[in-house]
This record gives sequence, C-alpha cells and structure tokens, in this order.
Amino acid sequence: MQDVLYFLQQLINGLTIGSAYALIAIGYTMVYGIIGMINFAHGEIYMIGAYTALITITGLASLGVAWLPLVLLVALICAMLVSSSMGWAVERVAYRPVRGRHRLIPLISAIGMSIFLQNYVHLAQGSRNIGFPALIEGGFQFGAADSFQTSISYMQITIFITTLICMTVLSLFISRSRIGRACRAVSQDLGMANLLGIDTNRIISATFVIGAALAAVAGLLLGMYYGSIDPLFGFIAGLKAFTAAVLGGIGSIPGAMLGGLILGVSESMTSGYLSGEYKDVVSFGLLILILLFKPTGLLGKPEVEKI
Amino acid sequence: MRTPVKKIVTAVGASVALMAAGHASAEIKIGIAGPMTGPVAQYGDMQFSGARMAIERINSNGGVMGEMLEAVEVDDVCDPKQAVTVANRLVNEGVRFVIGHLCSSSTQPASDIYEDEGILMITPASTSPDITERGYELVFRTIGLDSMQGPVAARHLISLKPERVAIVHDKQQYGEGIASAVRDTLQQAGVEVAMFEGITAGDKDFSSLITKMKQADVDYIYYGGYHPELGLILRQARQAELDAVFMGPEGVGNKDINTIAGDAAEGLLVTLPPSFDEKEENQALVQAFADKGEDPSGPFVLTSYAAVQLVADGIEQADSTDPFEVAAALRSGSFETPIGTVQYDSKGDMQSFEFVVYEWHSDGSKTPVN
Amino acid sequence: MATHSLKHALFCAVVTLIIAYPILGLDLEARGTSVVLAGADTATVVSVLAAALVVFVFQLFRHRILGSLGTMPSLNPFANREPMPQDKRQRLETIALVVLVVAALIWPFFVSRGAVDLATLVLIYIMLALGLNVVVGLAGLLDLGYVAFYAVGAYTFALLHQYFGVSFWVALPVGAGLAATFGLLLGFPVLRLRGDYLAIVTLGFGEIIRILLNNMTWLTGGPNGIGGIPDPTVFGMEFGRRVKEEGNVSFHEIFDVAYSGSHKIIVLYLIALVLALFTALVIRRFTKMPVGRSWEALREDEIAARSLGLSRTAVKLSAFTIGAFFAGFAGTVFASKQGFISPESFVFLESAIILAIVVLGGMGSQLGVILAAVAVIILPELAREFSEYRMLIFGAAMVLMMVWRPQGLLPMRRIHIEINKQE
Repeated sequence: MQDVLYFLQQLINGLTIGSAYALIAIGYTMVYGIIGMINFAHGEIYMIGAYTALITITGLASLGVAWLPLVLLVALICAMLVSSSMGWAVERVAYRPVRGRHRLIPLISAIGMSIFLQNYVHLAQGSRNIGFPALIEGGFQFGAADSFQTSISYMQITIFITTLICMTVLSLFISRSRIGRACRAVSQDLGMANLLGIDTNRIISATFVIGAALAAVAGLLLGMYYGSIDPLFGFIAGLKAFTAAVLGGIGSIPGAMLGGLILGVSESMTSGYLSGEYKDVVSFGLLILILLFKPTGLLGKPEVEKI
Repeated sequence: MRTPVKKIVTAVGASVALMAAGHASAEIKIGIAGPMTGPVAQYGDMQFSGARMAIERINSNGGVMGEMLEAVEVDDVCDPKQAVTVANRLVNEGVRFVIGHLCSSSTQPASDIYEDEGILMITPASTSPDITERGYELVFRTIGLDSMQGPVAARHLISLKPERVAIVHDKQQYGEGIASAVRDTLQQAGVEVAMFEGITAGDKDFSSLITKMKQADVDYIYYGGYHPELGLILRQARQAELDAVFMGPEGVGNKDINTIAGDAAEGLLVTLPPSFDEKEENQALVQAFADKGEDPSGPFVLTSYAAVQLVADGIEQADSTDPFEVAAALRSGSFETPIGTVQYDSKGDMQSFEFVVYEWHSDGSKTPVN
Repeated sequence: MATHSLKHALFCAVVTLIIAYPILGLDLEARGTSVVLAGADTATVVSVLAAALVVFVFQLFRHRILGSLGTMPSLNPFANREPMPQDKRQRLETIALVVLVVAALIWPFFVSRGAVDLATLVLIYIMLALGLNVVVGLAGLLDLGYVAFYAVGAYTFALLHQYFGVSFWVALPVGAGLAATFGLLLGFPVLRLRGDYLAIVTLGFGEIIRILLNNMTWLTGGPNGIGGIPDPTVFGMEFGRRVKEEGNVSFHEIFDVAYSGSHKIIVLYLIALVLALFTALVIRRFTKMPVGRSWEALREDEIAARSLGLSRTAVKLSAFTIGAFFAGFAGTVFASKQGFISPESFVFLESAIILAIVVLGGMGSQLGVILAAVAVIILPELAREFSEYRMLIFGAAMVLMMVWRPQGLLPMRRIHIEINKQE
C-alpha cells in the first residue's frame, strides 16, 4: 500500500512539472511548425514572464492589495502582456530580417537573442535567487496518518487545471478561429498561404505572441511552485520544454502536451527510484532514442522527402 | 542599475590600477577574489565589505611600512572555472597577496596557481580540509575546517536523539565535504543515516527528493551546501507536509534564505562561526561598519577583515613584501585580530577555531542553542 | 500610408516601453527577510523613455531613413572591384601567411604575460573552430554538441594524468583519438537524421556528457573538477618554479636563468601555435582531397551526390570524426593551459560560441574562421571595463551580424578554374 502511495506521489510530482513543460513547449512547437526554426530565446521569454509576475505581485503587495484572485489575475495579465510584447519584438528584430536564409542563420540569431535576454535581466535585476511568495498554500492528504501520506497541494492542482484550460482554449482557437485557420494554412505552405491573401507576417507574429503568453503563464505558475527565480532558470526549462516538444512531435499541439507529461513523469520517476542526479540524462537519453526510431516524434507527421 | 556605487568603485579601481602600473611598487596590491555575482553573491558582499573596510582603516593609519594598500577586486562567481581565470588575471596584474576565494571549490584550483606563482593567499571562508592538506607554503585561512564544523553539527544532532537522519549535499567540495564529515560522526555514534544523496546546484524542483525523504520517514535532515537550494527544499518540504528538522552549515545562514523559504525557515539549525561582532573589543569596528551603512554580522565579514590585517601585520613583522618571508612570519608569530588571537600551524590552518550552533528564525534573526 | 505608419510607430514605441520599463525600471530587492520593489534612478527611467522615443521616430521615418542609407555611396571602396586573378591572389596569400606565422612566433617575447596567455586561448579556439568548420561549414552537418568532444579530450588528459601520471605529449594523441572514437560511435546512429533533428540530438548528447561528468564524482570529481594538470614539457624540461614529475629537469636551472613565470606561458603559446598550424594545414589538405570535395558535394545536393555514387554515411562520418578529433586536440591543450578543468567549462554556451565563430568567419573559409576566432575572443577582453556588459554585447552582436552580414567576415571562395579568354 505504501509503495502504491509513493508511486502515486511521484506520479503527481511528475504530472505537475510535465504540464508546466507542456505550456512552454507550445511556443517551440508552434514556431517550428510555421517557420521551421528553433526559437532558442523562448526559455528567456518564460523567465521574463516569471520576473514580471513577481514584480507585479511585489508591487501590489506594497500597495496593500491582498485579495488573492485579484493579485493572481493582475500578475497573470501583466506577465502575459510583457512576455508577448517581448516575443513580438524578438521576432521583429532578430528573426524576420533573417527569415528564408540558410537555416543556420536564424538559429545563430536565436542563440544570440537568448544570450542577450539572459544578460539583460541579469544586469537589470541582479543575479541572485529571489524568493517568490507562495500565494496558494495547503492541500489534500491521502493515506493513514501514521505512515506515508500522498499529498496533493492546491498549487499542483492549479498548475494542472490551468494547463488543461490553456490547452483546450488553444486547440479550439487553432481549429475554429480565422487566425487559427490561417496559422494552419501558413504552417502547411507559407508561400501558398501568402498567395491566397493571408498576411503571413501577421500570422507569424501571432504565433510568437501566443507562445510567449503561454510561457508567461508557466512562468507565474512555476515561480510560485518552485519558490525562487533567477535569470538563468529560463535556459534549462527552455531546453526541457524543447525536448518535450520534439518528443511529442514538433509542430503538434497535443504532441507538446504528451511530450511534456512523459518528460515530467520520467524525470520524477528517475529521481524517485534511481537518483535525482540522473534525471536529465534520462530525459535527453529518451529524446535521442525516440528521434532515432521515430524521427518525427510520437505524434508528428512523417516528413516526405521531396525531390 | 542595481549597484551604481559598486560599479563606480570598480571603474575607479580599474583606472587607478592602470595608472599605478606606470610607477610600480608605490602601493601594495591586495587581490580580493570572491563572488560579486551569481547565486552566492551575498557571501561575496560580506567578504568584500570586510576586506575593503580593513584596507581603508589600515591606509588611514598610514598604510603598511609607509606604503598604501590597494585593492584589486575580481569576481569568480563561485565557479571553479572562473576562479582559475581570475587567478591568472591577478597574476598578470602583479598582485602578490590575495584575500580569497570564498567557495572551497574555487579556492582549491586557484591556490594551485598562487602557490606556483609565489602569491600569498588567505581565504576567509573556505572550510574544506583539502585546501591546506597539500603542503603548500603560501596558503592560509581565517576560518575553521569542515572537520571541525561537521562534528559540531553531528554532535548536536546526536544530542537531539534522532531516529533516522537524511543527509543531502550539492556535490561541491564544500557541501559534500561537510556532509561526509557529519555522516561519519553520526555513524560512529550509531545513528542511522537513512539517505546520503547529492543534488545538482541550481536545480529548482525538489519534490521527488522530498517525497523520498518522506518515504524514508526521517526526523532530521542535514543539508551540505548553500542557501538557494536549501531555501527551496525547506519551502517545498513544507508544501508537501514533510515533518522534519533541518540543519545546515554556515553556507545557509543568510537572510536570503528567509526570502525564499518564508516561514519554513523557522527552526532551522545552523552552525556558524561565533558572532565576532558582538565581542566587546570589536565595538569601535562595528560602529565603523554601521557608519558606512554596512552590516558586520555576516559570518565572513570579520574573517575577511582579519585576513587583510594578517597580511599587513605579516608584512610588518617580516619587514618585507616577499610573500615567502611574509608566510614564514605568519607561521611563527601570534596576531591580535577581530576574530581573536590567530596562531598558525605548519599547514596554514588556525590552531583553534570554534563553531556554534544557532537556531534560525523566520524574521532572519538567530539565537544560540544550548 | 501616413496614418498607418504613425499607428505602427506608436505601437512599436508602446511595446518598447512595455518590454523595457518593468524589467529595467522596477528593481526587485531583498531587504531583510522580504522582497521589496524599488524604483530605478531617474537616469534609467529617462533612458527607457528616450529609447521609446527613438523607436517611435525611427519607425515613423523608417522608409526615408533606410532609403537615404541606400543612396549613400558604398562604404566599402572595394565592393565593386574585379576579383583578383587567382594566381596573384594565391601568391599574396602565401606571403601574408608566412609573414603572419613569423610574427606570431616572435611577438610573445616582446609583450606582456597577460597578452600571451590570451593569445594561447585564441589559438585553442582557432583549433576548435577549424574542427567545427569541417562539420558545419564543409559538410553542412549542424552540430550543437561539439563541446562534448572538447570535454572528452580535456578529461582524457586530466584523468590519465591523475590516475596514471601520463604526460601531455602522450595524452595529446590519445585524447584526440578518443574524441574521434566518440564522434564515430555517436555519428553512426545519428547521421541519418536530417538537419535540425541532428542538431537536437547532438545538443542532447553534449548535455549528457556534461551531466555525466558532473555526476560521476568518484571518477571525475564532479562539479569540483580535476586540478593539478601539468604543463607540457619540452625534452623533459619543466617550466614551473619547482619540478613536479620525477626524472624531469627544470628549465631555469639548466640554462641558469632567473625563474620567470612567463617562460611557461610562452612555451605553452608556442606549442599551441604549432598545433593550431598543424590543424589548419591538415584540414586544408583534406579539403583538396576527394574526401573533402565529397563533403561539399553532399552539402550542396545530397540526392545528386548520392546518385553519383558517394556513400552518405561514410562521407558524413568522416567529417564528423575529423571534427571531433581536433576538438579532442584542443581539449588537451586547454586542460594543460588551465591546469584545472570542471564540467562548467563545457556548457552549451561554449558550443554556441564556437558555432558563432564558424558562422561569423564565413562558413567553410579557413582564414575567415581564424579571423573570427581572434575577434570573438579578444574583443571582449579589450572591453574589460565593460565586463558586466560583455555577454550582453556578445549576444547583441551575434544577432546584428546575422542580420547585416550573414555570409560572415570572409565568405568562402569556391575553388574554380579560369578559362583563358579568347583574344
């Protein structure tokens, strides 16, 4: 019984982190799906979202605003606003001028942007770990009081539900709305979409804005869940989320969700049953294995080699 | 933006250094190497503040043998790789005395370079025994060793009659060294060490580790490492309803742990050097810090102050600025410093140094236990 | 049109404010046990506003500004010049190279110790970039985990020395060979992946190597790294203050000169110079051999190359292995120069810097890559006073170079045969 509860607890831990990875992975997967580039700076956008959320929360606290739903809502809106503006600006400045060139060029530009943003926040906000207040506390407990108890905190439930809502809304948006339809058209054939009168530049900008907004949501949630933020924590999270996107099949939104969850669970199981030191080895090893045997990921469409 | 004053000081320092290169040996250059940025920059601040104060006060009293001390400050980010780079830079600038580094894992590789290049080094904060184990002539410290601090922590744990203890460390020289010292003492006393596990410094998610400790049903947890990780572990353990008492070395005793852990920091046990700033004879010095708006209560402020003073006293005693002669003088003499009377053994360790167990509170204050 | 550009300019200015003000203008500060928000000084706020204003004006008159830039006479007077005849160009190049090498041999005796130390680092990056140039520039394989092979070379030397007391000259071929073996083993399964997938797998591989080095504390010392790595000896002579290995003799005692820390630095520089020259010459040779020609053929058109009978796997593997070999080479020199290595020296950023050097130099062009390595390593060092802004400027420069001069400093020239014009 205790073993089952232990397993359950590790599963919950993994699903929580995994769904946050999935939120960040959306940004990678949509951008790759449309213009076929790896947006290395996306992890930094997530980090900036977390910083903005913390700045807002601290500012509201000093103004005396304490009603939790209001604080969370304002923080969320501010973080999404700043992150999406950042996403939009990054695309305008660093990616649009190099679009369509040799595929190494946008990649280097993205890496440069990532280094730039990391140091921008580092210089402006310092390099220390800053504590993030735990706004949502408490949780449920399962199991006998005198032995191992599985606990689910309200924070974990919040992360999971928020991710589900975001994913559902996004899927509906992509499949039903005009912009969503245009997105799909552009990702299938950019040139053709352009000929059919779709403003492709606008659609590409929209992709960056949507991805950045979701990354900001993840920034706020994970900031509260972990407890501290620093200018470097976006890079690792970005790498993980990117792995999740590739794992699930890059370009596919359900794939990002699946990839995120698999990655999160495999990490927490490795920490739980082996050692936390090897969780990253397992995630990257998993990535390599999947790419070797199914190069387009779990839910990706097979690429046809055109001659 | 964050610290314009510091930038100006550094810039002025750099330009002074450039000008001084023209007419050499008018000043004695003291290198100060520690983290100005990065996750443990708080401790670097303590080190720089103590060392700057000492240099200022020595200079205002006429310097050493009529020559002024001049600080050359470098940032090693507490990263061994950067430590080697800045050590080489200090060599290239012609520095012959270094106060630093802070983290043991930085001090160790940097000391290889200093010893090879004939530079005297006093670390105010590195506690790993290996640093002075290698028979180096020019390596000293103004702090105790893990092999003193670990047993103090372990004996305190034993006195609390624990059932099962978990030991976690960050795999760095400092964290793992002290964690091993604690484990060995606990095991000798027959206490069950249920877990001994490393984490990766810089990680943020410890939920799996905490679940594991919950499963192991431990009642005490010792963490060897620095505060950014322990702060997160404390807080996430509170969220997961893990009920245990945490303990850590001086690397976690810092007010920043409260900003991360919040209320969860209440009741944390910390081994620290005794509060030198509360000693009677240091009150004038404490006032000088207060006048500058600085806080001398951090564990490494006065050890750094003492390190600079030892360099100055050593030079006076040896009547020479040759690092080898100064080292010989330091080994043979006995010196009065704010951290007490310092006498060195042949390895470069202080002959006695004391650690005290404190209980940490959620408002960032601490009270001695026992 | 006018209202549209006004609206656009206004939008851009507002976005500038949104992305700059919260991060720059509001500082999170830990005060005591709580985090508080501090407003930045007026200068910062004013500069944020000024930045927004600049963006507004630029966007408003964007077409006019860009238009007038276009009509300006070209800044480069050589832009429209006829290319030099090939034989003359080659002769000039040879002379320039000889002068360069001679100068590189002499100058360390006249400059400061710090400059020589930095030059050694530049030479290490030149070796790395030349090696990666084979993989990325010539064979067109995007490798984001190149630093893994560098780590293999460095750790091979460090571990061999720590456990078996092996010296630099033995470790050099062993380290390079082992790195090449790693390249071969990794390349075999992954080279059938295309483009970005290859990039991702190599990135994952690089991270795995680094994490393993960090975790295998019993073997590699984990995050604490390995120290005490010796400098190279020359005919059994050591250049340190004291002789470390038994059986060796000390340079300053044999030649009866005063000990100087700069002997060691200069010797290491000269060794690195010789090895870098060796790397450059070997790779130059390769590019003229059939295998080198087939790298480029495969890069230009894989399907055409394969239908001409080139083995895709063999060609790609050879490039990957040779690239890894020289990374191992550079790794050994690096370990010896630093005397200390830790996993922190082999992070992804290092791969990115080497890749940036290759792209900046002009993919495939050897001289360009060498120039870029000098620029990328030395320029940040010159700006010591701005050391805080170093990486910020580095990142911005990477983006700007890609936007303005994506072909690199010295784009590669195709080898071509000139047909004499009929009179």
